[in-house]
Amino acid sequence: MIRKPHQCRIAAGLILGCAVLAGQAAGYIDPGTGSYILQIAIAFLVGIAFSVKIFWKKIAAFFRKTFAANKDGGPDAS
Amino acid sequence: MPPEGRLPSSFRDPAGYMFRRDGVLYRGIRDPGRFHYDRLMSSGLYEELVSARLLVPHEEIPSFREVHEDLYKVIRPEEIPFVSYPYEWSFSQLQDAALLTLEIEKRALRHDMTLVDASAFNVQFLRGRPILIDTLSLRQAVEGEPWTAYRQYCQHFLAPLALMSLRDVRLSQLLRVHIDGIPLDLVSSLLPLRSRRRASLLLHVHLHARSQKRFAGREVRVARGKVSRQARLGLIDSLESGTRKLRWRATGTEWADYYDDTNYTPEGLAAKRRAVEDFVARVRPRTVWDLGGNIGTFSRIAAASGAQVISFDVDPVCIERGYLRVRAEKEQNLLPLLIDLTNPSPAAGWENAERLSLLERGPADAVLALALIHHLAIGNNVPLEKAAGFFARAGRSLLIEFIPKSDSQVKRLLVTREDIFERYTREEFERVFRQRFEIVRRVSLAGSERTLYAMERKDIPG
Repeated sequence: MIRKPHQCRIAAGLILGCAVLAGQAAGYIDPGTGSYILQIAIAFLVGIAFSVKIFWKKIAAFFRKTFAANKDGGPDAS
Repeated sequence: MPPEGRLPSSFRDPAGYMFRRDGVLYRGIRDPGRFHYDRLMSSGLYEELVSARLLVPHEEIPSFREVHEDLYKVIRPEEIPFVSYPYEWSFSQLQDAALLTLEIEKRALRHDMTLVDASAFNVQFLRGRPILIDTLSLRQAVEGEPWTAYRQYCQHFLAPLALMSLRDVRLSQLLRVHIDGIPLDLVSSLLPLRSRRRASLLLHVHLHARSQKRFAGREVRVARGKVSRQARLGLIDSLESGTRKLRWRATGTEWADYYDDTNYTPEGLAAKRRAVEDFVARVRPRTVWDLGGNIGTFSRIAAASGAQVISFDVDPVCIERGYLRVRAEKEQNLLPLLIDLTNPSPAAGWENAERLSLLERGPADAVLALALIHHLAIGNNVPLEKAAGFFARAGRSLLIEFIPKSDSQVKRLLVTREDIFERYTREEFERVFRQRFEIVRRVSLAGSERTLYAMERKDIPG
């Protein structure tokens, strides 16, 4: 339990570090800068997670459909 | 020159503003909003959102444009019967408003549009369901740009819901102080350690707060336009699953089981129900405020007459249960809201005019004050004159229940306090209320010493 904040700090450092390294164009200052940077930093992660989720849902749907068809006697049953 | 009657809360957005003319609410669209409004209407997104009851419908009013040259168009949105604020909502009301915002953003992205704001104040309750009222917050999306409303979503929705779910439901009141959402560093410090085990809260609250702190006031160079469409959808998906996973069980407050522990006999309760039915049948109100409405038992009797009923209570459990029933039964004209009548929502925001106080949003045609007066007069030391004054400001017709000191519920209130309420008698109650109201009818509730009074406000000159 005590390790949690420490892990959190490391993760924050890694993500925010990536964000700063990615920077190159026009910079600006506003209260939302940290939100903007975080979003860019986590975009890749959440994008990958979303793709995996969609892919997994498609596989699950395929198997559900296949098993449902078999239960009903299969697509060739007459 | 802007039209008269511009709403004081409508000044931030250069794309347009709200104004009232002859009692009707309009939205004026200025040049900066022109392109985005036309895209909204031509892309098919408007029809999709309106038919799914996610966005408030409107009609275009051509005649205004000739009068007000600074406006590209004037639209008349369907008016919300009662404007409520996020600090008056229960957990599920705020959660449903949050999920509505994300659903709209998902649908908007399919039309290459996006929500530029994710303010909880842009959501209202219409016919029992949350709906987006800010038509101009939908704009053309710029390919590769991050979601500009991300910070606002976290501060207005995810963070307060996390606090309510994982720490204490009463922390929703922080939204009353922080009207642009609760600062994430504050939320991060208030949330329990276990909240860091949830990926969505770790990312969108704790790391978000850290990132804001790290880059506050610092000049940084950031890459622009680097968030892909898939990443935008991923972000929305992550926020949505994080929001959905937050739960709050509505149990365990003193008022939640009120109707299991009352002084009414079945006959008394039936008489009370009949009195409410007779009252609304006689008064025929369009709007009713049920003050101290608990889970809305008597509010529903009033709502059955077709009136728009707001059921106010101080207990978050009652408001949550009331709303869950509204949602389950698809009730159209009842809105439960969290209000402490001894300290109702104040006017707030810029010039104290952006958010209206409770009384500024009235008066209602009719007010129900059932089993309430003893809590105000004895529980909170409110003199009867002041109580009568408050009810006179809240509505025109009043159905109020008087509960004498001999009633066990009042005795319970007096157990731990000195009885300094010599004037709390039926005679004094009638005398004081007669100064402001005409007593139209009295109904004694069988099996108790309680009496219901139907009253009409006197028009006092000056």
